[in-house]
Amino acid sequence: MSEPTAIDAFYLPAWLAVGMETTVQRFGPPHDSMDLRLPVVSSNDIQRWIEALRQARAERLVNRTTASILRSLDRVATRFLDSRDSARCSAVAALERAGRFSTPMIERCLDDAFTPLVRGGLRKWLTAELGSASALDRPTTVGGATRAAHGPEWMLHVYAGNVPTVPIWPLLSAPLLKSALLAKTSSQEPILAPLLARTIAEVDPEIGECLAVVWWKGGAAELDRAALSDAPAVLAFGGDVAMASVARQARPGAALVLHGPKLSIGYIGRHALTRSALPKLTARAALDVALYDQQGCLSPHAYYVERRGAVSPVDFAAALGDALESFAWTLPRREPTATEAAAIQMARAQARFNAAAGGERAYRGGVFASPGGTHWTVVCENGARFEPGPAHRSVRVHAIESPEEFERAIAPDARYVEALALEEAGPRRASLAARFAAMGLPRIAAVGALQQPSPLSTHGGVGRLRPFVTWTTVESARPTVKTPARPAAPVPAKPPASKPSARGSRTKAGSRRRSR
Amino acid sequence: MRRAAPPTPDLRERIATASWNVNGASPTEEFAALPLFQHQARVIQPYAAYLEYLAVTPGSVADWRDIPPVPASAFKSHYLSAAPPEVDGRPGSPGVVFETSGTTVSRPGRVRLGDTGLYEASLLRSFERHLLPDGARLRAIVFGPTREEAPRSSLWFMVDRVVREFASGPPHHVVRGGEPHWKIADDALGAAAADGEPLLLLGTTLFFMATFERLAALDRTFLLPPGSRAMDTGGAKGLSAEFARADVAAAFERFLGIPSTHLVNEYGMAELGSQFYDDALLAHHEGRAPLAGKRIPPWVRTRVLDPETMEEVAEDTPGLLVHYDLANAEIPLAIQTEDIGRRTGDRLHLEGRLLGSEPRGCSLTFERFLAEGRP
Repeated sequence: MSEPTAIDAFYLPAWLAVGMETTVQRFGPPHDSMDLRLPVVSSNDIQRWIEALRQARAERLVNRTTASILRSLDRVATRFLDSRDSARCSAVAALERAGRFSTPMIERCLDDAFTPLVRGGLRKWLTAELGSASALDRPTTVGGATRAAHGPEWMLHVYAGNVPTVPIWPLLSAPLLKSALLAKTSSQEPILAPLLARTIAEVDPEIGECLAVVWWKGGAAELDRAALSDAPAVLAFGGDVAMASVARQARPGAALVLHGPKLSIGYIGRHALTRSALPKLTARAALDVALYDQQGCLSPHAYYVERRGAVSPVDFAAALGDALESFAWTLPRREPTATEAAAIQMARAQARFNAAAGGERAYRGGVFASPGGTHWTVVCENGARFEPGPAHRSVRVHAIESPEEFERAIAPDARYVEALALEEAGPRRASLAARFAAMGLPRIAAVGALQQPSPLSTHGGVGRLRPFVTWTTVESARPTVKTPARPAAPVPAKPPASKPSARGSRTKAGSRRRSR
Repeated sequence: MRRAAPPTPDLRERIATASWNVNGASPTEEFAALPLFQHQARVIQPYAAYLEYLAVTPGSVADWRDIPPVPASAFKSHYLSAAPPEVDGRPGSPGVVFETSGTTVSRPGRVRLGDTGLYEASLLRSFERHLLPDGARLRAIVFGPTREEAPRSSLWFMVDRVVREFASGPPHHVVRGGEPHWKIADDALGAAAADGEPLLLLGTTLFFMATFERLAALDRTFLLPPGSRAMDTGGAKGLSAEFARADVAAAFERFLGIPSTHLVNEYGMAELGSQFYDDALLAHHEGRAPLAGKRIPPWVRTRVLDPETMEEVAEDTPGLLVHYDLANAEIPLAIQTEDIGRRTGDRLHLEGRLLGSEPRGCSLTFERFLAEGRP
């Protein structure tokens, strides 16, 4: 099955790659593995690369104008959207061979990641976060404040492999911030990020000099330490244990953005539950479920559906099943592993058991499942609870009475929610959105739009660029200092209790605040 | 609902006298599970409701393969036992209540047994055959707690039962008050090495490996006398604690001098009265090459299903395991698991997690809700 040629699963600037020892490793399940060429990484290499990247950034990137960087990155994004371009073709071919998603899904996933960046998208992104697209070039005045932004000298990124396109925006964010980048890929998906870096280098060799994208085995303590111990900025995705380890090893004062495990959910208000709206509503919900086979943090695992709509929660569940059935053909999923399928079968059997034998969650007749396979599963149950499902297009529909019931169930675990897909008709949508926003959920989206976040929005509730930026504020207002009027009669001088600090802050009028 | 007596005496006799064929082939004798199934369909109320939901009439099931298995997770959600309600696990209550781990509901499941006779008959017979085929009666070290300290654990119930039955003298327990007491282990291992008396060690693979890690840090090894042996359980599945079998065997040899012929891995779960053992020691005793995989006891059948279609797969093909266990008298005899394995003849080959299915990145999966192993 596997072809004789190994895929290069790393990117290093040519002069760093010279003399680099590489090894070919087999990735993926034994029956369908592929050979990837990887550098043999030592902690010395990592230190050498970091030094070289810093130097390249100083010489080739930091003094570039943002406009010229945007032009290059726009060109890169455009190439990944052009189905005839070699970058796009290589990405599709490599991800196909990796076998984690079906081809229509891969095409869709690349379109979704790159489309928002072209035609001025990158500029809008920068402007949305920094107030001005030229904030990294020179002091700019926004809203009365004049400030210059600085990206970190270099960034360390640690990517996850659950959805292949997750590294795309982070990787581009480094040159956008005029920062060098050392990125560590995931063994689950070590292909796309190096390919993106290589394409950037093709389009703009100067930026390419400032990027390194490599893989080393997770938990290799010495290598992790070499990468982390001096990084001024770290963006990492992964499980709780990995994130805790990054936080522990990062240098004090480093800008850390750590994305731990999350999932998404949906809420359907009763006014949205009409017969006429149902087919389109469930088609949109099914798209959110189907995209990326619930492998991403934007994938919904459960819909909380209000009772007392014209359509009951169980009818919503049935219609969602029908919609998932049609996506089984138009947007097929990747075949789950035996273990994953066994978990789906267990969840199905348990749902049937609940339906049969009663109990607090029983919803008789509420189990909908694709015939002849685990392609999709919809289970309707009474009441709200928060728990991830076995994924691969398995969702629960919770019949609930009220938003309070939803809030009670979700609030204790709200930190695990990345986004909420909210559907309700009329002004009640806004009031529900306000309620759920008050829970601190990072994103509230329309049903069907969960998987299309905007680069202008946040990820996990924090900005994509801002957390890594430091600022120089340039103040120009000269204080008017009034010469104090001579007192009519001299007041006997009282020695101060302690000498005011020379660094004591001044009030606007310039008088010294008494330090205590 | 009529509470007919379970066909237990008959089953106990069958378990006690079942013959272990030795050629590794699939059993040819009839697997007479239907009377027990029909009894359970009458007396285990949630199971009866489940059968009705599935439109299965117990009396019309003619082949044991058509007995609907209960999902192992149902022990978490329902009172899935024929034992009377007073078997509730409180101090002084009759019978035993084991707690299970599992995957789909966060609270633990409960396996209630009013009468452990059948369970004991099964576990003693399998253990004796696979760990003590030479009839040895050895001093035991339990790398775990006493049964009194872990009353909800089916594993420590089993270990307690076998050491009471087969060990010579009272066993040493390394875990006391929830903490490992390494001195107990060191003293007992050191004494055995000095006086030449072979030992029987019992514990989880995870705990043994932690023991070896400690010995490695201390640069310490014991050379236990020939005939010493170990039963380890777990390790073939699970998330954080997965070890290559060869590494486990090498560690037993290096730190305790127990050769791989005397290391026997066990697979069991609280929802099953019976256990499955490696062939290593029995084969050594019988002077033949060990058969790969774990022995399915003669009173158990395991079906391997395609996890997509739930159709039975061909022999030696991996799939989802469903066990049919005649030692499950008071709880449903047919249990659907999430374990993946394949069957060749009367051997079961368990598969760990597949390569490439590492815990996922930013997606929260129910793996983090997964309790480890069998309590």
